[in-house]
Amino acid sequence: MSRPAHQRPAYHKINKDLFVLTYGALVAQLCKDYEKDEDVNQYLDKMGYGIGTRLVEDFLARSCVGRCHSYSEITDIIAQVAFKMYLGITPSVTCNNSSRNEFSLILDKNPLVEFVEELPAGRSSLCYCNLLCGIIRGALEMVHLAADVTFLQDRLKGDSVTEIGITFLKKREEKKYRRKK
Amino acid sequence: EISAWGSLVARRERNLRQLYPTGTSKVYGYVTNSKVKFVMVVDSSNTALRDNEIRSMFRKLHNSYTDVMCNPFYTPGDRIQSRAFDNMVTSMMIQVC
Repeated sequence: MSRPAHQRPAYHKINKDLFVLTYGALVAQLCKDYEKDEDVNQYLDKMGYGIGTRLVEDFLARSCVGRCHSYSEITDIIAQVAFKMYLGITPSVTCNNSSRNEFSLILDKNPLVEFVEELPAGRSSLCYCNLLCGIIRGALEMVHLAADVTFLQDRLKGDSVTEIGITFLKKREEKKYRRKK
Repeated sequence: EISAWGSLVARRERNLRQLYPTGTSKVYGYVTNSKVKFVMVVDSSNTALRDNEIRSMFRKLHNSYTDVMCNPFYTPGDRIQSRAFDNMVTSMMIQVC
């Protein structure tokens, strides 16, 4: 099967249910392996980090986004391009502080939790979709941006919305401005 | 009783069958191709319920049951404690009673 070298292979559709069930099986198994919610959350984040560092290459190759000039632009691209591309949803973006380095993604729908009605008893601090936080964190790190990514609100825990918070940690070096001195 | 189920399963359709017409109530059974059985007991005084309505009720039950099975935290064989399942059953019962 030959194709032009510069083209990424086209997406082949698979059944979303298989993906959602696989994710559920992953979380359920982690819950059996680790008693504490914090441990499960931590391992989900670690796994997500491993995915994100790799996925970002695929994302940049497929989306051909240009260079971003602000954290707000980056967050918009995560919400409108990346989430759309990989999960089929478009969370809305809000900025949480005046120094414009803290943002929130509000997820209206979340395909990963389609069959989970509520967290099981004794698992009230489980961040079921923590894999997503790790993915975002890993992807940003591969493009030299350090960020803290956590769930601020979660419908599964009884909150009214599901909200992922992204806090960009270091100011990006803007070498081209230093030359002016 | 076992032979009644057996003949249901042997038919390739997931058919419904009236299991015991008794004096006070009618019992309907529905078996899936995964051998999961649903049983519905209907009061004899309810003559309005037709076969195709019963069949669609069983189908709704089957669909909701499938959603319950897809919950990664649900172990097959456990008692069903899903709110969505209970809501579906309640709304079905309200419709026919």
